[in-house]
Amino acid sequence: MKLLRETYLVLRKDLVLQLRRRDSLLTMFFFGTLLLFVFHLSFDLVPDRVSEMAPGLLWLAFLFTGTLGLAQLFGAERENQCLDALLLSPLDRGALFLAKACLNFILMLLVELVIIPLFWILFNLQTWNLLPQVFLIALLGTLGFCVLGTVMSALTLRARARELLLPLVLFPLMIPIILATIQCLGAVLRGGELGDALPWLRLLIGFDVIFLTLGVLVFDWVIEIE
Amino acid sequence: MGSWGFVFLAYGIVWGCIVTYLFALKRRVRCAEEELMQLRAPEESSDHDKK
Amino acid sequence: MKKGQPQKSRARFLGALALITIAFGLYWALVQAPRDALQGDVQRIMYLHLPSILTAYLSFFLVFIGSCLYLWKREKRDDNLAHSAAELGVLFTALTIIEGSIWGKPTWGVWWTWDARLTLTAILLLIYSGYLMLRSLIDDEDRAALSAAILGIVGFLDIPLIHMSVYWWRTLHQPPSILRPDKLPWENVHPAMLTALAINFVGFLLLYFYLLSLRLHLGEVRSEIKTRRLNQGAF
Repeated sequence: MKLLRETYLVLRKDLVLQLRRRDSLLTMFFFGTLLLFVFHLSFDLVPDRVSEMAPGLLWLAFLFTGTLGLAQLFGAERENQCLDALLLSPLDRGALFLAKACLNFILMLLVELVIIPLFWILFNLQTWNLLPQVFLIALLGTLGFCVLGTVMSALTLRARARELLLPLVLFPLMIPIILATIQCLGAVLRGGELGDALPWLRLLIGFDVIFLTLGVLVFDWVIEIE
Repeated sequence: MGSWGFVFLAYGIVWGCIVTYLFALKRRVRCAEEELMQLRAPEESSDHDKK
Repeated sequence: MKKGQPQKSRARFLGALALITIAFGLYWALVQAPRDALQGDVQRIMYLHLPSILTAYLSFFLVFIGSCLYLWKREKRDDNLAHSAAELGVLFTALTIIEGSIWGKPTWGVWWTWDARLTLTAILLLIYSGYLMLRSLIDDEDRAALSAAILGIVGFLDIPLIHMSVYWWRTLHQPPSILRPDKLPWENVHPAMLTALAINFVGFLLLYFYLLSLRLHLGEVRSEIKTRRLNQGAF
């Protein structure tokens, strides 16, 4: 319980900061939209092919947008040595991890809430009824991304060329999530339900649980890096 | 390219890379050891002075 | 200082042993082992490929062990093991991919195919190259070691998940390919082939441990250099 309460405290602080300044949120939102435009221009998308390519394009857009958010995740703490102050407090390191992962998760969800319908509009998809399932799958995938990404973001905090290094170490490890999410989304868009893709959904949930636990356990050492 | 061509290509590249890595590694070790010798030298000469 | 001498002669002995075994292995692979009925002489690449895969996976396991030990005890020696094993692992993984590609060209007609094995090996290469880059981009030694240790552990634990997802992905999309170089029909294997394979396995392992001992030695020397420089700077 104490863990959750501490998580909530740090999360609330960050959310208030974000909602006041909105710089992370807006950058992510505009970048995601920009990517949709670039994708449409880059791929010659005939209407029947769009459904096939939609999962991949959507998820690519979220990956890159999410990476932007991750790079800024500890931005507030880096100034004025706030991170040292946080670490000197009796705050559980696991709580810090959960709070940061939650923060990125919430930001990404807010962005996805806009980008997904936007995608349907821009690419002329008709399957509006499938949006709830699409959101659910995107939610699970985003969770995995945020959890693993927060660990990697903290690991690369003091590295040179950090903005390049973060995706470099994160993306290969994200491959199960990428594959699982795209397979699930593909199944839903084709048939309206998961059907054959159920094992992928289990893999997705399994990944989320494993790395959420691992993140909480490992963060003690990760943040020692500062 | 015949069958043996591919075989020799594969074996050639692999052993070429391994041998190159080995020599590069040996050179790195040699350079590091020389540097270490230099750092140790003043210490050994001061040991002699004390004796 | 004479204390390095017994270590050096042990290493040299290991190296010589490796060389002899590899020479034997080459002879058996290229001359003594019979021609494969299906694939012809190209199949001889297997005597390189399987041992390479073995040493690559062994390496990454050692990275995991070294990383765990380092997190637990914080001894430079364990960090050295992780770093050295990662370097060798990247080397042997890259070689595995090259061999797989060259074997694939006459067998499947293409230099690259996104089949499960090749894709998986490529992902491993990316993960451990990232590990090496992480280390080189963090200036503080202790932070670099700590970050790398965590990456080494998280990466290794992710590998089964990556393995599963890539294999599922491939079996859903493509029919199983007829000629898969990494599938061995064990029933009709000629004993000479098994011998060749065994000799080459041993040869590669000996070579691996020889290279590892050299690389570990390099790490120790560098470590001592750093310590001495720090101490000298203090005066």
